[in-house]
Amino acid sequence: MALKSYKAIRWVLPILATLALLFLAGCDYTSKQSALDPKGPLAQNQYDLFMLTVYITGILWVLVGGALIYTVIRFRARKTDDPNTLPHQSHGHAMIEVGLILVSTVVLVILAIPTFKGIKLIHEMPAKYEKDAVIVNVTGLQWWWRFEYPELGIETANELIIPAGRAVQLNLRSDDVIHSFWLPKLSGKMDLIPGQQNKLWILADEPGYFYGQCAEFCGDSHAYMLFRSIAMNAADYEAWVARQKAGALVPFNKEKPAKIDLTSLNNLEVINKGRDLFNTHCSRCHRVGEEGGVAAPNLSHIAGRSTIAAGWMENTPENLHRWILTPDAVKPGNNMWNGMPLGKLADGTADRSGMPGLRTANLTSEQVDAIVAYLQLLK
Amino acid sequence: MAQTVPHDTHPAHAGHDEHAAKPQRSFFGLVQRPQEGCHPIIDWLTTVDHKKIGIMYGLAALFFLLVGGVEALIIRLQLMVPENNLISAQAYNEMFTMHGTTMVFLAVMPMSAAFFNYMIPLQIGARDVAFPRMNAFSLWTFIVGGIILNLSWIFTAAPNAGWFGYAPLTSKLYTPGLSTDFWVMSLQILGVASLVASFNFITTIINMRAPGLSMMKLPVFTWMSLITAFLIIMAFPAITIALVEVMFDRHFGTHFFDATSGGKPILWQHLFWIFGHPEVYILILPAMGIISEILPTFARKPLFGYPLIIFSGSVIGFLGFTVWSHHMFTTGLGVVASTAFSFLTMLIAIPTGVKIFNWIGTLWGGRIRFTVPMLYALGFVWMFMMGGFTGVMHSSVPVDSQQQDSYFVIAHFHYVLIGGSLFALFAGIVYWFPKMTGRMMSEVWGKVTFYIMFAGFNIAFFPMHFLGMMGMPRRTHTYKAVMGWNEGNFLSTIGALILGLGIAIFVIHLIWAISKGKKAGANPWDARTLEWATESPPAPYNFETIPVIKVRDQVWANKYGTKSEKMGALPAGSHGIHMPDRSWYPLTANIGFFILGMGLIFHGHAVKLFGFEMHLQGFDAWIIPIVGAAILFLSIILWACEGPGGYHLHPEKRAEDKH
Amino acid sequence: MSHAHATEAPTNDPFHNELHPGEDTATGIPNKKVAMWAFLASDCMFFGTLISTHLIYRKLHPTVVDPKEIFSIELTSASTFILLMSSLLMALAVSAMHKKNVVSARWCLAGVIFFGSLFVGAQCYEFHHFVHAKELTLTSSIFGSTFYVLTGTHGVHVTLGIVWLIGWFIKTFSKSFKPEHALDIEVAGLYWHFVDIVWIIIFPFVYLIEYI
Repeated sequence: MALKSYKAIRWVLPILATLALLFLAGCDYTSKQSALDPKGPLAQNQYDLFMLTVYITGILWVLVGGALIYTVIRFRARKTDDPNTLPHQSHGHAMIEVGLILVSTVVLVILAIPTFKGIKLIHEMPAKYEKDAVIVNVTGLQWWWRFEYPELGIETANELIIPAGRAVQLNLRSDDVIHSFWLPKLSGKMDLIPGQQNKLWILADEPGYFYGQCAEFCGDSHAYMLFRSIAMNAADYEAWVARQKAGALVPFNKEKPAKIDLTSLNNLEVINKGRDLFNTHCSRCHRVGEEGGVAAPNLSHIAGRSTIAAGWMENTPENLHRWILTPDAVKPGNNMWNGMPLGKLADGTADRSGMPGLRTANLTSEQVDAIVAYLQLLK
Repeated sequence: MAQTVPHDTHPAHAGHDEHAAKPQRSFFGLVQRPQEGCHPIIDWLTTVDHKKIGIMYGLAALFFLLVGGVEALIIRLQLMVPENNLISAQAYNEMFTMHGTTMVFLAVMPMSAAFFNYMIPLQIGARDVAFPRMNAFSLWTFIVGGIILNLSWIFTAAPNAGWFGYAPLTSKLYTPGLSTDFWVMSLQILGVASLVASFNFITTIINMRAPGLSMMKLPVFTWMSLITAFLIIMAFPAITIALVEVMFDRHFGTHFFDATSGGKPILWQHLFWIFGHPEVYILILPAMGIISEILPTFARKPLFGYPLIIFSGSVIGFLGFTVWSHHMFTTGLGVVASTAFSFLTMLIAIPTGVKIFNWIGTLWGGRIRFTVPMLYALGFVWMFMMGGFTGVMHSSVPVDSQQQDSYFVIAHFHYVLIGGSLFALFAGIVYWFPKMTGRMMSEVWGKVTFYIMFAGFNIAFFPMHFLGMMGMPRRTHTYKAVMGWNEGNFLSTIGALILGLGIAIFVIHLIWAISKGKKAGANPWDARTLEWATESPPAPYNFETIPVIKVRDQVWANKYGTKSEKMGALPAGSHGIHMPDRSWYPLTANIGFFILGMGLIFHGHAVKLFGFEMHLQGFDAWIIPIVGAAILFLSIILWACEGPGGYHLHPEKRAEDKH
Repeated sequence: MSHAHATEAPTNDPFHNELHPGEDTATGIPNKKVAMWAFLASDCMFFGTLISTHLIYRKLHPTVVDPKEIFSIELTSASTFILLMSSLLMALAVSAMHKKNVVSARWCLAGVIFFGSLFVGAQCYEFHHFVHAKELTLTSSIFGSTFYVLTGTHGVHVTLGIVWLIGWFIKTFSKSFKPEHALDIEVAGLYWHFVDIVWIIIFPFVYLIEYI
């Protein structure tokens, strides 16, 4: 068998290198959630530092890898070698070692200084951004995000609306297990840990629609714990805030008459039924306007969001229908289906009896249709 | 020290030679203590021979490698296309938890342990390890741990909270079933196995060296094993205690990691990574030791900078305890701690770089033979270097905040754990295969396998760097097609399948070579260290006479060195070579351990298996653990009372019998 | 590395080493002792982890418990003294073995076992009292969780030490017990002293610290 190793190397390595190059060229570095496409100062800093490490290690890779390849080719055993002599049995060279250690140290110092600056930047919002910064309290829950604007009295879920060009101070907390807030185009991760509050700040230079995701494993449906952030220009943002502050456009409420034109609706009866079903089955956890619980996402403006089920699905009536009818098929293990774990049983497991989930509600497809029709009104 | 004890005054020595004393009996006289020539199954179950124990470690590790590999392939197949439904979210979580736990604790560590067992006594010129029966105990404890972890599949309660088990996800509130209990208990048992083995190896390496074999003449593999053993004994207590705390939280309602009662989930992460980071070096240092044996052999030159290789290994081990928080850069450590841990992490690049420089220095000016072990070793240096570079990247906190928990990190640590540890271990298997079996593995098939593995590995893991930077988080069972991750994931899965094929061929080739490989002599590679002075495979007593060591790389010096460098020998004893008896107790102690472990897992749970249901409560729930503990305890007492026993072997006679 | 090899002695035979401890190891230190030191190094990390957990957690109990109200420092001081005295007897036992005085060693061991049992008894009483009279349990607060797990782990160490020493105490009556077993007693003694030292650390860091 004439399978000489170096002949094979001639094929394997170039093929791999070509594949790698093709792949490099084929990647879309501006894809939805790419950290290689920064859109804010913090992400930009992290991207620049990343590129610095790429250059440093790239140079080292060429030098050290090149030395390795050169050595292996030059000092390979040849047929012409004299079998009666041995290669020089050298044991080492102190000056080479010391020199290489010094060079490595210098390289690390080059990396260490901007690293320190970057760490400061993550932890401390620069003073110039502070005065008009927006504060948002972010709470991670299995498997959705609660966003509260304490200064504005707004609560929303899974879509973080921010004003472009203004910094946002995020206070990160968790009510159950550990999650991690990752909005790659605006910043690196910061964990949400029960019993402690972490801080992070973000700033979007321009208006935009950004993808984010939970980056710490948090149980069954971790992969479905996404969120979006929408950076709006000042006017749009003010309009959004005003709409949120106005409360829910709750129809059919006797004390607070509807703020929308009901006469344009042709399926009043269905919507009516949907509202009743919602109040029976959903409102113990979901809040609409002033009414309802707080254990689950606030739905006052659900129809105004672009996604449902924590960013997993587009907000369409069909998706909403599927989500409410078969939550467990969309998001395994979720509390909407299983019931909220409000307390602990004697053996330490979750007590869900206080707020049973849809598992026991046995909603029919028609009933879900009605709920969807109702939710569609909550703009 | 060194007082002269008159021989044959000890009862066990009396009546030596042919008239061996009547065989001891075990279990209060019920069973005979296995003797030379007993049934092979009994022989293997009760053996105290470090070589047999090493082989059993190796076979079990290979088996678990395949199990973990199948889990990995299922993970990759699920991620091959977006929104795939091959397996459910829960099943996926079980897969990656079991894959991680299996590969770290049941594949890579025990495969290193296989070489520790087989090679260290040979490399230091000893007849066995310091405590042969304790060695058997470690083996069986490891097997019990592996069995318990994988029994969870049968109870449909495979662990699903990640191999890192971050609190409070491991509390009963979030993982109510048996799954986390299986995980906790098997890790505890595997921890016992690692600790006991490490006490043994530390003692062996420090105390059992042949005359003249000073520490700075030790083969590098033995040196790295010594450092690894120290890392194990210092690192495992942290996770043991952390697991005890989880166990207490789950079973007795304590509040260690319960934030609502004042506990701190972050404490788990600190304790886990105080163990977990040294663990990384526990996985890689033996690999570095193997590489440091193979490169000089096939470059036909001594290791370049031997003292510095040893020193840098020790520095890596030491620094390994000072950098745990770099796994926690996104947990809100604050500026000071982040900076400190970031800089300390960068420091580790220096001793690691030193090793790579020295390996290249070893090759420089050599006469490199591209044998299969050498190819794996060169592949190791290349890929470990790449993994090292990405490691430097995430030593920088801001960079890491984008890479943490993304596919970039997966790429990084698979480059150092597959490209690094596993390639080195495979290099070690091919390199030492002739020593262990007396036969060679095929060069042609070896090379084919290597290239398949090398290509598959890089195709599988290189794209993950890009996936990570493009925002793909770890531990997610699916992703949307719009995210731009489709091509990378598809390519990665193809690569994983190729890698899997390579490993499958490797294992089949290995099994084939055990009986069909070409016969090998004592030193087929013209290697350098002491294990090659023994026959292949070595006799039960390893060395007919205890060698007296003159120089580092003694076997090389025996062939090419000056006269004064040649190995000496101590005179043989008058009554043959004394061998310790086989023992039942390491095995029975672990049967007790198994029952104890399962009992504690079942404690407080309703257990269902194949339609049977059991829910022991109150005192009844303690019956199984108590029975197990009693068997364990009794076995240890009987073990202590039994003594090493012993019989004599006569090398001269063996030689005559052979002819 | 000095290797004064007795001729004919089969060196580096593990079995031989078990029979003739310390005679011919590379360092001159018997294997059992090296292994015990390695174990103790590891055990340091066990207790280090537990003590740090306690120190981090002791102020984090949401329901206010004042440990000073719970602890009975007189009792604990007395039991600390008892444990220290057991260490003294342990040292005497080892010394007696080295002098080949088996009878003296036997009764010193009995003393160690007795004092050790007194300590464990005091701890059992303490636990019982805390649980029933002071209502500090494993689950009542985070302080209780760390306190019981830490001191309980130490108690288990002492108990295992007692069981081990009882084994040797019984063995001293056997004909096969020889002055060569001094090493085994010494190794057990290393363990016993270590467990004592750990208590000397636990006592200020768990008990006295609450009075500062």
